[in-house]
Amino acid sequence: MPLMYPLVFAAFLFSAGVYGVLARRNAVMVLMSIELMLNAVNVNLVAFNAYLRDELVSGQVFALFVIAVAAAEVGIGLAIVLLIFRNRETVNIDEVDLLRW
Amino acid sequence: MHPLAQATTQPLPLPEVDWRAIAPELALAVAGVVLLLVVAFWPRAGRGVLAGLTLAGLAAAAALTVWNWDLERVAFEGAVSLDGITRYARAVLLAVGALATLMVAQGDSREGEPDDSPPEVFPLLLFALLGMVLLAAASDLLVVFIALEILSLSLYVMAGETRRLAAQEAAMKYFLLGAFSSAFLLYGIALCYGATGSTNLLEIADATGDPTADGTLLLAGVGLLAVGFLFKVSAVPFHMWTPDVYQGTPTPVAAFMAAATKVAGFAVFLRVFAGALGGLVVSWRPVIAGAAVLTMLVGAALAVVQTDLKRMLAYSSISHAGYLLVGVAAAATVPAGVSASMFYLLTYAFMVMGAFMVVQYVSRLGPPDDDAIGERSSLEDYRGLARRHPWAAGLLAVFMLALTGIPPLSGFWAKYYVFLAGIEAGLTWLVVVAVISSVISAFFYLRVLVVAYLQEPVGDPGAETAPGRTPALGVALGLAGLLTVAIGLAPEALIAAARSAERILG
Amino acid sequence: MLLTATLFAPLAGALLVALVPAARQESARLVALAASLVTLGLAVVLAARFQTGDAGFQLGMTAEWVPAFGVSYRVGVDGVSLPLVLLTAVLTPLAIAGSWRMADRPRTYLALLLVLETAMLGVFVSLDLFLFYVFWEAVLVPAYFLIGSFGGERRVYAAVKFFVYTLLGGLLMLVGIIALFWLHQQATGTPTFDYEALVDFQKAPSTQRWLFAAFFAAFAIKTPVWPFHTWLPDAYTEAPTTTTVLLAGVMSKLGVYGFLRFALPLFPDGARWAQPVLLTLAVVGILYCALVATMQRDFKTLVAYSSVSHLGFIVLGIFAFNLQGLQGGVFYMVAHGLVIGGLFFITGMLEERRGTRRIEEFGGLQQVVPRMGGVMLVITLGSVALPGLVGFVGEFLTLLGAFLENRVYAVLATVGVILGAVYLLWAYQRMWHGPLEREENRSLPDLTRREWAILAPLVAAIIVLGLFPRPVLDRVEPSAQRVVEQTQAPSP
Repeated sequence: MPLMYPLVFAAFLFSAGVYGVLARRNAVMVLMSIELMLNAVNVNLVAFNAYLRDELVSGQVFALFVIAVAAAEVGIGLAIVLLIFRNRETVNIDEVDLLRW
Repeated sequence: MHPLAQATTQPLPLPEVDWRAIAPELALAVAGVVLLLVVAFWPRAGRGVLAGLTLAGLAAAAALTVWNWDLERVAFEGAVSLDGITRYARAVLLAVGALATLMVAQGDSREGEPDDSPPEVFPLLLFALLGMVLLAAASDLLVVFIALEILSLSLYVMAGETRRLAAQEAAMKYFLLGAFSSAFLLYGIALCYGATGSTNLLEIADATGDPTADGTLLLAGVGLLAVGFLFKVSAVPFHMWTPDVYQGTPTPVAAFMAAATKVAGFAVFLRVFAGALGGLVVSWRPVIAGAAVLTMLVGAALAVVQTDLKRMLAYSSISHAGYLLVGVAAAATVPAGVSASMFYLLTYAFMVMGAFMVVQYVSRLGPPDDDAIGERSSLEDYRGLARRHPWAAGLLAVFMLALTGIPPLSGFWAKYYVFLAGIEAGLTWLVVVAVISSVISAFFYLRVLVVAYLQEPVGDPGAETAPGRTPALGVALGLAGLLTVAIGLAPEALIAAARSAERILG
Repeated sequence: MLLTATLFAPLAGALLVALVPAARQESARLVALAASLVTLGLAVVLAARFQTGDAGFQLGMTAEWVPAFGVSYRVGVDGVSLPLVLLTAVLTPLAIAGSWRMADRPRTYLALLLVLETAMLGVFVSLDLFLFYVFWEAVLVPAYFLIGSFGGERRVYAAVKFFVYTLLGGLLMLVGIIALFWLHQQATGTPTFDYEALVDFQKAPSTQRWLFAAFFAAFAIKTPVWPFHTWLPDAYTEAPTTTTVLLAGVMSKLGVYGFLRFALPLFPDGARWAQPVLLTLAVVGILYCALVATMQRDFKTLVAYSSVSHLGFIVLGIFAFNLQGLQGGVFYMVAHGLVIGGLFFITGMLEERRGTRRIEEFGGLQQVVPRMGGVMLVITLGSVALPGLVGFVGEFLTLLGAFLENRVYAVLATVGVILGAVYLLWAYQRMWHGPLEREENRSLPDLTRREWAILAPLVAAIIVLGLFPRPVLDRVEPSAQRVVEQTQAPSP
């Protein structure tokens, strides 16, 4: 399989994530879009790893780290969103506007 | 044969564990865990005790840093490098951490009110510092990523961990944009890995000189890395989160963010761009220089119209990031760019922390605000401060003049050194822009002094409540003020130390 | 060492003043006066030890400051700076005495005046470009607070305008200083800001031009040279009177001194290149500000504009590039400091008595306060350059210098002399002569003993230096001659 396929796929996935972050107003959806971006990175890392025949398998190791850290990030992100929802009953980031956005 | 299968046939080289190289980081991690346990199992421990333990952890880390001072090597198969940047950043970060601990220990509340930040803020502070110190030492993109996440995750929680709605909102914005920028950084890392075959900065440095490497892929990766780092150091056009976050978060945390994340962020920025990607300087310098111009001018121009001191300090920190970017732009070809940036970070950290300490002091005056923004940091609250609290106003004047860059205060030498490095690197036009930005910035720093010194207090000064006893804050303010003046009068030793940070190991 | 003591004595005094307990603010005046008199005493000893006839720098001191940047603490005086040091040392105690009855935060005010004195002295004696820059910017801070915190109604506007304007000029000069330092290091390998080393260093004419432009920005704004003067009437008018005395008497000399000490010897080619521009600006400034002064109704603003106009003569003399012009320029700096200081003191005394500075509010004062009128007459005549008084020597020499260089400028500037006589004497006439119309003016008290003590030294100096200018001119001459030679040195 040529390297180009996974790279283009990852680029699409990343762009979809960026679009989601910019266009979505719901904080949970934004969080999910960020996950998409991180997964695009993982696809890239694994693809490069296979392509480079990296003996240290750095790409795959890196991908594992990204997955782990992403999980931690989602945990904290959801906690913050939950906190805001409990105080304001909304997770729409346009309505969270005490500070000028 | 499948590459994975091939890899399993050979034993992977195991890196030698060099405990000494990461001794300060270990000390911070241990202290953080200990504090976490203390907080969990001894809920009634006073803030004084927790702050004392935190300071003890910082002192241990500082002692280990001194022990490692002359150590110059690359440890863990190139994952961590001990060089001038590492030790300089370690020293500055630990000092900033100590000042931040004092600010946090003071808290936002007066006697009889519940504290704003819960006690978990102390271990989080240590973990954030751990991430920052590691970030400054990282010489593998994997370590860069991990360290960045350690510090970011801790800061997200620290920012939102209060009852105030504004702080929670700030935490959410900080989190969303921080994670967003991390994704860009990661994508850049992935592309760099694809183009050079390694995530190690030393090997990337070798590969950038190799003509067989995929140039397009590498440049795309460098571009995305730049976006990620520019986000983290809040450079224009990736600065939108900074004012909201600085204004919303509790003042001690905002001070810590403003000072420490800049130090760590620029340390890694220098190491990656001036060090590993130094061979591509022709490609990235225009980008960084352009970002520097925008950052200096937009930051200064927007700061002029602010009416809230914390928000103004946020914009001012953006424009200071611009001056630092001048140093980064110069650093690849001129070693003085590295030392100038490091020295700038040192002085800037103390100036901006001092300014936030005054904010914290003043926010304790007067009745607490009912509205959700919470802290009293509007410029109105500073009217006639000089007559009511001459010491606080005097220190505010010192920090504002230092931030403006008036000699002989510390900020002046920092600006001067960066200008010097810029001219040396042939970026005279950039230095001229920096001068223009300095003049614009004089407007808003002076405005604070105008309000504090030249305007009469409003309302009945008797209605103002006393700030309560503020021993920790007093000590912190005294230290920050003393450092700002003393570095200004005798900068030689610290400049010499910064000079020793010029050599980047990788 | 003596020079260093002179330089930092006011600063030490300022610290002492700040330490005076709040309950005993009156004793702050005594401390401040004592500190400024000690400074004056040291300055007089300095002048006594000064070797007349030596063109170089004397009584200097050198110490390392920031060797990493090639910055050192290097001070010294020559014939050009010595008179200015003395002028500063004389005017500060008078200004402190003038603020004797100040009710609003006297401690802070006096401490700031003393800090200002140290900063201004520092500019005059620095022989390291970096040290010079540090003092140059350090002048801003006390001046900013003095204007902004103690001034009149529009004081905040005036203070910020003053600060930002001068900071802009100063930073452009800093870029020039760094560039000069950098070129020198490139050529010789030694990082230094040493004045003499940088003067001796040969610079290409094209480089000199833009470096001169960078220094010009700072000096032209500070002097101020027309059309960079717009901050000045605001600052002078809004500042408390005794601050204005120091601003007009000493601070306005910083800019012209900068031209003379730094811009000319460092960049002779650049200076020659800019000479027509500077001479034109000087003459335009002389005439324009004289005309504007004629139309003023506020006496303080009138004096402020007259100050700008007279500073034009100094610029004219300096950029004549000959001994007469330079010597006259330095002498005129001293004369201007004495005369303008006196005029502002009188303004302040009138304002204290009447609460106004508008010229039409006065009239016929000679009948009520004859002694004050007499002093005023001497100072005014000194200002309009009556032969035998101090202004004449300076104005005559600068005009002579300009005449030798280019007659057109000299002739035009002479028109400025006439205009100067017109507006000052006219204002004098409207205020002191004519019918005594206003009821409020009938009961004005004449000079008190304290006011005599302030004005008497000024009047004495105006007369004595006018009759016997030689002691000053003799000391200035060798150093001025040296600047002439440096300026006319052939380009490499």
